[in-house]
Amino acid sequence: MKVGRFTAVLAACGYGFLLSPLLLVCLLSFSADDYLTFPPSGWSLRWFGALVANGAMLQAARTSLLLASVVTLLALAAGLPAALAVARGWVPGAVAALLSAPLLLPTLVLGLALLMALQPLALVATWPGLALAHIVVVLPFVVRIMTTALSALPAELEAAAATLGASPLRVFWRVTLPLAAPGAIAAATLAFLVSFDEVVISLFLVGPRLTTLSVALFRYTESRTDPLVAALAVALIAVTVVVVLTVDRLVGFTRTIGRT
Amino acid sequence: MSRRQAGWLLCLPALALLTLAFLWPMAILARMSLNETSESGMLVETVSTATYVKLAEDAFTWQVTRDSLVLSAGCATSALLLAYPMALFLFRTRSRWRNLLAIAAIAPLLVSGTGRVIGWLAILGDGGMVNAALHAIGLPTQHLINNWTGVRIGLTESVMPYTVLALLAGFGRLDPRLEEAAATLGARPLRAFWRVTFPLTLPAVSAGWLLAFVLAISAFVTPHLMGGGRVFVLATEIYDAATQTLDWPAAAALSIYALVLLLVLMLAHGTLSRRAAA
Amino acid sequence: MTHLVLEGLTRAYGGRPVVQGVSLSVERGSLLALLGPSGCGKTTTLRMVAGLEAPDAGRILVEGRDVTPLAPHRRRMGVVFQSYALFPHMTAAANVAFGLEMHGVPRGERVRRAAEALTLVGLADHAQKRPRQLSGGQQQRVALARALAIEPDVLLLDEPLSALDAKLREELRSEMRAIQQRVGATSVFVTHDQAEALAMADMVAVMDQGRIAQLGTPEDVFERPRTPFVATFVGRSARFAGQAEGGAVRAGGMAIHAAGLPATGAVEVFVRPHRIRVLADGDTAENALDGTIAAIDYTGEVAQLQVDTPVGRVPVDVATADGAWRARQPGQPIRLGWRATDTIWFAA
Repeated sequence: MKVGRFTAVLAACGYGFLLSPLLLVCLLSFSADDYLTFPPSGWSLRWFGALVANGAMLQAARTSLLLASVVTLLALAAGLPAALAVARGWVPGAVAALLSAPLLLPTLVLGLALLMALQPLALVATWPGLALAHIVVVLPFVVRIMTTALSALPAELEAAAATLGASPLRVFWRVTLPLAAPGAIAAATLAFLVSFDEVVISLFLVGPRLTTLSVALFRYTESRTDPLVAALAVALIAVTVVVVLTVDRLVGFTRTIGRT
Repeated sequence: MSRRQAGWLLCLPALALLTLAFLWPMAILARMSLNETSESGMLVETVSTATYVKLAEDAFTWQVTRDSLVLSAGCATSALLLAYPMALFLFRTRSRWRNLLAIAAIAPLLVSGTGRVIGWLAILGDGGMVNAALHAIGLPTQHLINNWTGVRIGLTESVMPYTVLALLAGFGRLDPRLEEAAATLGARPLRAFWRVTFPLTLPAVSAGWLLAFVLAISAFVTPHLMGGGRVFVLATEIYDAATQTLDWPAAAALSIYALVLLLVLMLAHGTLSRRAAA
Repeated sequence: MTHLVLEGLTRAYGGRPVVQGVSLSVERGSLLALLGPSGCGKTTTLRMVAGLEAPDAGRILVEGRDVTPLAPHRRRMGVVFQSYALFPHMTAAANVAFGLEMHGVPRGERVRRAAEALTLVGLADHAQKRPRQLSGGQQQRVALARALAIEPDVLLLDEPLSALDAKLREELRSEMRAIQQRVGATSVFVTHDQAEALAMADMVAVMDQGRIAQLGTPEDVFERPRTPFVATFVGRSARFAGQAEGGAVRAGGMAIHAAGLPATGAVEVFVRPHRIRVLADGDTAENALDGTIAAIDYTGEVAQLQVDTPVGRVPVDVATADGAWRARQPGQPIRLGWRATDTIWFAA
């Protein structure tokens, strides 16, 4: 079907609106000015230099990377078996609903609830506390993507493997798991990115000695607007773009996302 | 072992995590909303509805509720208007750039919300791109951030990718042959769209609007940063009560109130769209 | 020698009976077709034999051994699925070798036997291709090779040709039959296509609403249907109702002669188009009907005529090479005849 010129023009306007902030952030991260002004009076890499020299930011970046990795692994370990049970209909529908329930809740409310629950246990501003909070946010994504991926497998493939002599466990290892691998990679990617970018819940649960990069960026933006935040945002975008493009090359990320 | 038992066993780790970090904290939150804060700001352990009563008697609560609803409805509507042509374009195009354009439409989702706010500050700030353009043609500075205008613009952009996704999911069930059939029956392209395609996309439009609305009313980062402390919505009120005034019972009661409000709105939307479909 | 026996297989879904007391036996090395319209329970029957569905009642015996309680992977039944169900992440060769690996065949022998199976179906050159790089017909052959490679006790085929286009279907039909006979695999074949069943099977079981309506050779089923359902479902026919009276059927003011009629009672009559001749002037027949040509479908070798007669509309096949054809036109009068023994009747 043909795309009308009218539709194309309106779509271009939508894209312009949607992508202009990202474009401006990228441009102004190369500003030579002391403030976020447009057009900048000159171009330089000074703010990237300032970023690399900022010890607190680097520490927060290390925390965020480690946290996102741990959270991804744990969420996959817990989410994959659950997704299998949901996809096969081995558990009541209420369980599936419960597994995606945290998605429906405003993260602000969830963050507040976690603060009130973890404070008495002295788990605020600790690794276990932060990891637990992030897993709850990430788990519904993992379960949903994996459930979709597993449900999309033709049931007859597993039946065929069984008639060829494969026991249920071997059917899972040799047929189900390899075919669900693209879904698992997509789920892991999304889990990593969601945890890495999570800011609202973390706001309640970080402390002076343990903070994440996205919280540091938020706090910095609250108080000052110089191109350092733009440089930091660009660094975050660069990480995301590299991850997404790599995974898309490998397994077709957009298709997997589109199906959830 | 039966399939049921195997199913529960497989779900056990996930359910344990959810209980620990979701169900239990939500119970604590609900319990906290029944406590009171004394005149001196001390937490008083009790079971009463005093905090709720205090909120209900405060005219500011109703003002914030109305502002939040109006803001979210407006943002959802403008996000939908902007996203619809994008989704239609992505659905129809056979361009080899389609995949890249699809990624571009949802890419902002994968970029931290704070990063996008910074972009808007650079566009809308007093020294930003828009005011630079205004100055160039001799117009005075317009204040576009730290007020409702900035929040409206930022929030619209922040929910747009979800709207595109929701619309695309709805369009996926649309048969492209229908419009071709309308054309063979003599309908001009715009008429074919208006009489055939558009009515069939209404369920997707409705679902996309609700999603955008729910996300907008739940949003915190954009109203907080773009509003610069001068824009008050439910989310910023909850945050301030929890972290500035340290009135936890009030923060908890406001949270429960916001959740009930969301639930009622979603149920109302469900009933309305079912009635429209019937 | 009897190889596979089904005894009273019964299965219901949510209270709705799908298969009701199906019993039959299949001789070693022969091919049985389960023929019936969609929803008649033929695929469910096949899946119960494969172990993919558990029967509510009844038994499945292979060489006298009860296999009913066995899981599918312990049954050694080769199954060709309607969708082929080829593993998309494995090459054709790996697909075929999969079952051998599961049965503990050592690696070297596995490779050799997989290659043999692929050669058998004429795909030796495509061993290293993935399923999506193969055409529909090639995929079908890989599925057959995969099922045969485990040297199954019984080969089960679920509408294996239905996803192919008409010409390829006929080609593969004879090819599959030849392979099945060469290997000597006892086979059960599910199909809704009567031509396929008649052409390929040694025995045909016609199924209707979960029951076997008739079990017999293809010729039995076609020439001597036992119920009106079988007569209607397998092949075309002229069909009309009448009253038995004095050794003939009274219908539309005519007397239709038939063999072995009861003295009296309502009957339903079928006559196959290929049994009806066009009578030239002066020709006689045990049954003769005057009529008018209503429509002609010219299909090349045969012209299919619809003739309006006193007993209703009658289909007649006329060989176009035959003198009786002479390029007839709709509206022309025509005289039809057939033998009394070719009148198929059922007491109504």
